[in-house]
Amino acid sequence: MSRYFRELSVVGALAALLLGLAIFAPAFFSPQPLLSLVTREAPTLVVACGMALVIISRQIDISVGSQFSVCSVCAGLLAARGWPLALVLPASITMGALLGAINGALVAGLRLPSIVVTLATMVTLRQGLNLVRQGEFVNMPDAIQWFGLPQATGQLVLVALSVALLIALALAMRHLAAGRFVYAVGTDAEASRLAGIRPQLVTFLVFVFIGALTGLAAMMNIVQSPQVQPLSGAGLELKVIAAVVVGGVAISGGRGNLWGAFAGLLLLACVSPALTHLHIEAYWEKAIQGAIILLAVVADGLRSRKAGN
Amino acid sequence: MKNSLLRLCAAGAVLLASLATAVAADSKLVVAMLPKSKGNAYFISCKAGADKAAKELGVQLLFDGPTDSNAAKQNEIVENWITLGVDVIAVAAENKEGISTALRKAQKQGINVITYDADALPDARAFFVNQATPEGIGQSLMDEAARLTGGEGEFAMIVGSLTAANQREWQKHVEARLKEKYPKMKLVVVRPCDDLKDKAQSEATAMLSANSNLKLIMAICSPGVPGTAEAVKQAGKAGKVKVMGLGLPNENRRYVKEGVTDSVILWNTGDLGYLTVYAGAALAKGELKKGAKTVKAGSLGTFQIAGDNILLGKPFIFNKGNIDQFDF
Repeated sequence: MSRYFRELSVVGALAALLLGLAIFAPAFFSPQPLLSLVTREAPTLVVACGMALVIISRQIDISVGSQFSVCSVCAGLLAARGWPLALVLPASITMGALLGAINGALVAGLRLPSIVVTLATMVTLRQGLNLVRQGEFVNMPDAIQWFGLPQATGQLVLVALSVALLIALALAMRHLAAGRFVYAVGTDAEASRLAGIRPQLVTFLVFVFIGALTGLAAMMNIVQSPQVQPLSGAGLELKVIAAVVVGGVAISGGRGNLWGAFAGLLLLACVSPALTHLHIEAYWEKAIQGAIILLAVVADGLRSRKAGN
Repeated sequence: MKNSLLRLCAAGAVLLASLATAVAADSKLVVAMLPKSKGNAYFISCKAGADKAAKELGVQLLFDGPTDSNAAKQNEIVENWITLGVDVIAVAAENKEGISTALRKAQKQGINVITYDADALPDARAFFVNQATPEGIGQSLMDEAARLTGGEGEFAMIVGSLTAANQREWQKHVEARLKEKYPKMKLVVVRPCDDLKDKAQSEATAMLSANSNLKLIMAICSPGVPGTAEAVKQAGKAGKVKVMGLGLPNENRRYVKEGVTDSVILWNTGDLGYLTVYAGAALAKGELKKGAKTVKAGSLGTFQIAGDNILLGKPFIFNKGNIDQFDF
């Protein structure tokens, strides 16, 4: 119980919010709009899973928003050229993995701090994209939308895909050796090296993995609308890092799990539609989200002080 | 002696004649037009109008600009035009302060300088061709919303951000017009989309489920309009909940044609280019002087001038009927 206190407190806050909505704004739970809202967050969940791994391994990747944009635009352009979905999807994932590999090579290979490396790639990718596209939308053929499925089916597929990925990753992190390596490297890279793990390789692969997930997420987003805005994904890095931190993953690495990140994401993502449903001024949105993050960080700080004592 | 005098006269006549032709060639005004970026569809559509005006006026139009939005490159091009000795320079400034030094230099060399689309500092140009005032935009948005809903019912608004100065200004004028003219309409929710189409889609989805009586959503930032349209379409409320706002024809074309988006409001970019060339030529010919109240622009008629702002006038409404005439 106390071991999962952090995760459970987030779930508790989420439950309280949902209960409030059920009483004051039951329209929030009408199935069709709710499915649409949940589907909108499915790509974010996929990136958040990747971010949880990165942070557990004691790194950070703030370039995911820019990676997301680049993958979205590339996938959109390929789709506009008439490439079938069966090729666009792997292309987007590969593109993401390549971008992740650049980060990974710089961080793991040259031992550069990940915050600086990914800050550089974030800005470079974003400005490069601005230069090439100048903000112009990519128009895609209608066939790409919902993977060519009916809308409701497509939405269910996206939600199921993101949740399946979450479950698979959460289990893998707990039960597979590869998952434990990520925790080991994040807890103490030197100790893990002495134990026979290659920490630099693990770090590199974690960056490649979040890149690939970002490429997949970009794809899961562009099938929800027939146009790609090159700015798409701006600010995504803050959204997912906040979700992961609120969910109890320690920014100092080695601790936390994907279930917590999931709960954190749901809680933060609920704030905006909840305010709309409760007819509260939009000015509160960022303030409330900020307060939630602050509360989470303070809780972590208090706990580690207690542990230290 | 007589012979050489004759020769001299002949030579003088030839010289005079060649001088006259040179003057005739020179008398064709050269108007140099600088866009923020020359490959941008928005400015290409400005150029279409500028070309038309140049043809009507018999002036030579130079159209050049950076390939990307590059303030330093804009300065370079202006410097080249000063060396070339053009008659008029018309600029859409990428950087207000940055371009002004070069423009002041051009003015010192006797070149007439005006700005269009995006202004430079007031002392660096004679007039600014202002495509739309915040008041004009706000009123057009609200009037069109009222027209689409029959002047009554609830509507919602998506803004780019809650703090951006232009967004605040437009929103203020929409609300002022609402209060003044449409008592039966009610603005029930305002949400920001951070200039992201994806966020606008999420916000509109939540708005639709939270407000079952919604009759219209107005988006006053350009990515907001297609984002809203997609949400309304997915909610199966196309036609029942009207969509309109400020935006570009190309970003909204598919939704306008599908009947999801009713009206997209912006200015007519062709007219902006047309008016700019007419105003520039009038300035060079001395027909347009400081303090003038109006300026004539060919087939578009007379335009008002407020201070040193030449006003393009009421925004333009793109809809199903006319959107295919525009490509930007």
